Amino acid sequence: MSLAAEAFVGQIAAAEPWPESATLYQPLNDEQILLSDNASSLAVQAYLKMCSLPVRVSCRVNAEFMSPSGKVPFIHVGNQVVSELGPIVQFTKAKGFSLSEGLDDVQRAEMKAYMELVNNMLLTAELYIQWCDDTTAAEISRPRYSSPYSWPLSHILAYQKQWEVRRKMSAIGWAGKSLEQVYEDVSQCCQALSQRLGTQLYFFNKQPTELDALVFGHIFTILTTRLTSDELAERVKVYSNLLSFCKRIEQTFFEESDQSPGSSRYSKGPTLT
Amino acid sequence: MATPLELFCWKGNWGLPSVNTECLIVLAYARFAGVPLKLHKTANPWGSPTGILPALKTQENGSFSQPSKIIIEFRKQKYNADFDLSAKEGADTLAFISLVEEKLMPALIYALWVDPKNYVEVTRRWHGDNIPFPLNFFLPSRMQRQQLARLRLIKGDETLEAGEDMEKELYHDAQECMDLLSQRLGSSKFFFGDSPSSLDAYVFGHLAPLLKIKLPCGRLQQHLKSLDNLTRFCSNILTLYFPSEPNEGAAHKVSTQPEANEFDNEPNKRRKQLLSLVFALGAMLSYALLTGIVSIEHVPTEEDLREPQGIAEASPGEDEE
Repeated sequence: MSLAAEAFVGQIAAAEPWPESATLYQPLNDEQILLSDNASSLAVQAYLKMCSLPVRVSCRVNAEFMSPSGKVPFIHVGNQVVSELGPIVQFTKAKGFSLSEGLDDVQRAEMKAYMELVNNMLLTAELYIQWCDDTTAAEISRPRYSSPYSWPLSHILAYQKQWEVRRKMSAIGWAGKSLEQVYEDVSQCCQALSQRLGTQLYFFNKQPTELDALVFGHIFTILTTRLTSDELAERVKVYSNLLSFCKRIEQTFFEESDQSPGSSRYSKGPTLT
Repeated sequence: MATPLELFCWKGNWGLPSVNTECLIVLAYARFAGVPLKLHKTANPWGSPTGILPALKTQENGSFSQPSKIIIEFRKQKYNADFDLSAKEGADTLAFISLVEEKLMPALIYALWVDPKNYVEVTRRWHGDNIPFPLNFFLPSRMQRQQLARLRLIKGDETLEAGEDMEKELYHDAQECMDLLSQRLGSSKFFFGDSPSSLDAYVFGHLAPLLKIKLPCGRLQQHLKSLDNLTRFCSNILTLYFPSEPNEGAAHKVSTQPEANEFDNEPNKRRKQLLSLVFALGAMLSYALLTGIVSIEHVPTEEDLREPQGIAEASPGEDEE
């Protein structure tokens, strides 16, 4: 969102309370959604639950195209539409709900930095594995991404998305990486997160922040998604404090309303064992 | 023990050891870790082993170009500036490097390569002046296209153009990033204690060009200058680790009237102009001769006229053509 639009939305947002009819849109859960989108969507859901803001999850085939920035998930609140975790956090802040108010300056700097770390490494690695690894792309990503459409649109859309992601990878210098190196990067990122978390309940004090929501979204999705190989999940499972962190958040924020977070992986149901 | 590592990087200016961010990162890290390097400062990317700058050439393992790969290679050769960091500090390093690359780097690319005034007056001029002939005719604009494409892909927006909206958004992110870095740095000399690490190298590589290069549209620079501890951080590293860089910025500062200074900056320009003039005249003359617009008449001399009559009759006929 441009700055002017953000300021405008912020002003309007502050005026109205959070409606009951707030909806979160994402691609279809069972057939269409991919790992990276699922992670982002789960992160937003977790964040909203942490703020105790009610939101309905609505699955639409064309969620990606409905979104104002082209990325999922996006929320429809009142008469505003906001996409991606960063702007959504700003939006809820304008309405008076914020998780990071208690942090001092240094902590806020660290929080933002770690969020960028997750976006930079984990999200990029997920995109790489989905679209730049030929096996995964052919067996999982392309069929799933284009499942709601009929031929030839499915063919065109899938290849277009793949081409787009591959171009982005070469722009940021990931095109030359091998799958092994990407797994290594994921390990490093998880190690950093694990170090930062240590033995604490959440990343900062005893209260969850948007960083916790983001990390939960990605780690939980990686752990519960079946891909062509289990290497990614295995790499993450090494860090036991991250595992218990995810379980804790799932139990605290998702099980109370008896709503399983982003269910159904590509083969069996989610189990966080 | 070490076979010398060779590093190819962009030349420096304005008091910087190099004008390119990635080169600065690598140079700073090398100084911090005490890597014995054979430095090739060049303005010709095609002369480097990988085709782009910076490039590290090792004897055994080939050549590398990205800063992260180069730093990994340094570490493999036992030159590690992060040795003293605790595990948490190592984690913070990764996090803050990601922050800098996501928020600050796009704005830097915009300020140097996409903003029209800055690009024409500073970046393109410097590259045009320093890249050897004949590459300087097309390389700067090719680099600009590459940087714009890269910015578009990073931002995920194919329609990105130089404009006020885009500038505001990018600069806002960058200013926020600089504020966060400033808060993290606080009043310490380096980010982690008293000795510099790879994070310091990355931050220096991104902030030093902003601080030193004189840009006509310098909103980002002003913001950086308002953050004292970051300014001090950069100057500190420059004085401690790069003390002998020539400041050619002084000579260029007066070049606000480009016409007056162009001949001073390019001693070869006269020669090039003369050469091109001679070439053009030569081309025109040979074309004229070959097509017969101009012809050289063979004026018969005394010797010719003494020839027997038969041949004398024939030759004037030919000469009339």
